[in-house]
Amino acid sequence: MFRLNFKIALRNIWRNRTSSLINISGLAIGLAACLLLLLYVSYEWNFDKQGKNAAQVYQVLTNYKDANGVITGTGNGTGNAIGPILKQDYQGIDASARMTWGWDQLIANGTNSFKKMAISADKDILNIFDYTFIYGDKRTAMDAPNNIIITESTAKVLFGTTDVLNRAVRYENKMDLKVTGVIKDLPENSSFRFDFLLTWALYEQNESWAKTLGWTNNNWATVVKVSEGADVAQINNNIKDLITRNAPEAHASPILYPLSRYHLYNKFTKGESNGGNIEQVRLFMGLAIGILLIACINFMNMATAKSEKRAKEVGIKKTIGATRGSLISQFLMESLVLTLCSSIMAIALIELCLPLFNNLLGIELGITYSSPLLWIGLVSIVLLTGLIAGSYPAFYLSSFNPIQVMKKKNTKRGLQSINLRQVLVVGQFTFAVILMIATTVIYKQIQFIKDRPVGYNVTELVEMPQDGELSYKYDLLRDKLIKSGAVMSVFQSSSSMSFAGSNFWGMQWPGSTETDKQAVFNLIATTYNFIETTGVKLIAGRDFSRKFASDTAAVLLSKNAVKRMNLTNPVGTTVIYQGNPCTVIGVFEDFIWGSPFKTDNPMVVAFNKGWTSMVTMRLNKVNAAAANIATIERIVKEINPAYPVEISFVDQLYAEKLKTQKVLGILSNLFGGLAIFISCLGLFGLAAYSAEQRTKEIGVRKVLGASIASLMQLLSVSFLKMVVIAIVIAVPIASYIMNTWLKGFEFHTRLSWVVIALAAVGTIAIALLTVSFQAYKAARTNPVDALKYQ
Amino acid sequence: MIKISNLEKVYKTEEIETTALNGINLHVQAGEFVSIMGPSGCGKSTLLNVMGLLDKPESGSYKFLETELLTMNDRERSNFRKQHMGFVFQNFNLIDELTVFENVELPLIYNKVPAAERKQLVNEIIERMNIVNRSGHFPQQLSGGQQQRVAVARALVTKPKLVLADEPTGNLDSSHGNEVMELLCELNEQGTTIVMVTHSSHDASFSNRIINLKDGHVISEKINKSRTEELI
Repeated sequence: MFRLNFKIALRNIWRNRTSSLINISGLAIGLAACLLLLLYVSYEWNFDKQGKNAAQVYQVLTNYKDANGVITGTGNGTGNAIGPILKQDYQGIDASARMTWGWDQLIANGTNSFKKMAISADKDILNIFDYTFIYGDKRTAMDAPNNIIITESTAKVLFGTTDVLNRAVRYENKMDLKVTGVIKDLPENSSFRFDFLLTWALYEQNESWAKTLGWTNNNWATVVKVSEGADVAQINNNIKDLITRNAPEAHASPILYPLSRYHLYNKFTKGESNGGNIEQVRLFMGLAIGILLIACINFMNMATAKSEKRAKEVGIKKTIGATRGSLISQFLMESLVLTLCSSIMAIALIELCLPLFNNLLGIELGITYSSPLLWIGLVSIVLLTGLIAGSYPAFYLSSFNPIQVMKKKNTKRGLQSINLRQVLVVGQFTFAVILMIATTVIYKQIQFIKDRPVGYNVTELVEMPQDGELSYKYDLLRDKLIKSGAVMSVFQSSSSMSFAGSNFWGMQWPGSTETDKQAVFNLIATTYNFIETTGVKLIAGRDFSRKFASDTAAVLLSKNAVKRMNLTNPVGTTVIYQGNPCTVIGVFEDFIWGSPFKTDNPMVVAFNKGWTSMVTMRLNKVNAAAANIATIERIVKEINPAYPVEISFVDQLYAEKLKTQKVLGILSNLFGGLAIFISCLGLFGLAAYSAEQRTKEIGVRKVLGASIASLMQLLSVSFLKMVVIAIVIAVPIASYIMNTWLKGFEFHTRLSWVVIALAAVGTIAIALLTVSFQAYKAARTNPVDALKYQ
Repeated sequence: MIKISNLEKVYKTEEIETTALNGINLHVQAGEFVSIMGPSGCGKSTLLNVMGLLDKPESGSYKFLETELLTMNDRERSNFRKQHMGFVFQNFNLIDELTVFENVELPLIYNKVPAAERKQLVNEIIERMNIVNRSGHFPQQLSGGQQQRVAVARALVTKPKLVLADEPTGNLDSSHGNEVMELLCELNEQGTTIVMVTHSSHDASFSNRIINLKDGHVISEKINKSRTEELI
């Protein structure tokens, strides 16, 4: 019986090649899209969950409170005193490590030098995270200050091999470190990724200020491992006053938070976790399921549409003695065979699209075929899809009464089945239209933010880190750059123009109160030529100038800062900045420094020769950009030969800020497009089927003199009706969802009727095109042929 | 073998009530070949469907070898049908996706006959029906007569006690029609009871007894002397 059913299934698929192809490829695209999204979801979901102790790893977060003790914010920075104390004084904490936030630092083997992601940490980090040592001993690898652990791929780029234990590497062109461990590369989806790991002792040696243990300078991360079965709530209760006990002036309290949760639930209100990336993960889950459902609906529709053809077979089998169960299992089997074909095709599709998809998202997703979990997942998705897609036809077809279906060639189609099919098509298109509107709105919102004036001239502006000798040979560098003609103007600063680097509070000004001291200001420290180079608009006063020696104790304020300080005549006013009186010499128009999605803090640009880490240059437009860059590279290499030259275009860095939204836009575009495509595929199949069903009617009408146009109308209208109903349902839902989404942005575009009209007309046009192709084909057939078939 | 008494069947739609069978009484002896004739709508197909347990009458009794069939539930009816009855239809009703061999094999599969035995039974019957060289073909590759022979083979492969034939020659030309009728006669001579619905008095002439139906009543019964005498 199984073999026979299988044979019937295969022969049926072959006999109806076109509709099978539509069915299989539609389902394959749906499955591929679904699996791709789920791959992404599982990537996000498994963030920091890889190690075998992952559930015991907690990050120390800091809840910041106001004067009344109400939590106003939660951050992941801690001081450097809390880590050691936690392990030493509190039960249930097995290991504790302070870590620096990783940044790129120079590592070299001879002339082979690279800037790679580096983290410095206490040696307990090896007891917290489950690094896989290829060479070296976990117990001793971080014992001496000048030890270094490198990852497999770092070892390969530096030495060409991983067998490099006890070899020396040059760090920051300053000192030699001994490789005491080579570990497997860390998974992409770990929060604390590095290419090499340095000891905390070395860090303290290089940054002497970090030796002083502090409770309020929250510059580091602290990660702990709790003992198995530890009561974390109890620990949290015990450490509640830890900070205030040691630093009475602080308004903060630490909590342990599962590291494996932090990536997805990193938004906090009043100290309680309140969503985060999980929202995006949920969105993609919904999208995945939605697309799969659309594909399943196609499948059911095609199968029930074909039911009249299959009805005869059902009737015969029932007469001969088939039970309903055997028929149900037959139809389920058929759907499983189709699903299987589809899933094979889907895997091929995924393999084809994955590089593209990874490129879009900037991550490294891949199918690990050896993982049993993948196969269990895949098989269960295939089974589930097959069962969902096949269940309706199976139960519907097997319920046929044998005499009815065998006697009459054209059994009157049950009203119910028509209705269900229509409902399914309407549902499908509702989803597609919602996605289409959402896609357009997301696109418009991204454009809206993109079009916000940046406030300075981002094009032809490049920056590079002020590494090594550049930090004290800045004047030489500047002279050479200007002389070369590649650069019009140059300035050095504490941070990049494109990323919010630093802020401070405690500013005082004429008329400021005690609470004003809490006001947070953004801060860029620079020397000369800031305004000239960036093109930030000066509203009043002037930039720092070499002509005025007093400018070393001067500041520039943003328009927003002037407003915050309520200064009527800002230029010439004396303010207290970082404890020192400074004169305001200029006011500049606000520019976008941090997120372009919201209003930033007021800003202070201060003069500070000792705190510079970035050189920003305005390229000379006369030359080609590439030639300018080549010149800069040559000059920088001359002055600072030990470091690779890393020049970035500020406009590209600025575009990075829109990355999350861009990814969202691309994904919703992509999958919205797919949803519409799959829906239309289904409509195409249904239209073909309906045309086939009505061959006789069309023939008779033609003989009686119907025109092609009127026949096409006859065939198309019933389908268009469903699409129109779908639009009517979708528009309010989409408007509600997208309005809510837009409200989450401080600066946002409006959901205009043009967008909705565009989506509606677009959907109708696509559907019309799909259906009319079939209608035209049917209407064009010779009426004699049409009548002969009956 | 069959005792039908006071059989009534009414078709109801929202507007009309049609009496298809109106107190039918009918006896069929084992080994008989009975034709049911009558104008369109007289209820002959309904009677055949009721006899084949494909349809349920409102009232009456249907005894088959002293077993009352009308009180059975669906599963019992289905079981009884596949064990004791074979069907031959006007439009053959072969499954297009199955080959000749597989079509004939199907009832045996539903009767849970082991594979080896199935193969033997199917081969025997298709040899008898003279369609051996067609066993790998699909129905649409055969002529009408050949298709009906496959349908007959399928009806007989389970060795049923009763074969029900609904206009078996209706879709065939006269030479193929005769072929099929001769086949049925041959079967009948070998002991299978046959009940056939037909329009054609030519076909009916092959049977032992002709029952005429009109408006759901049996209006006449005629013994076909030539056949009956032949039989004697």
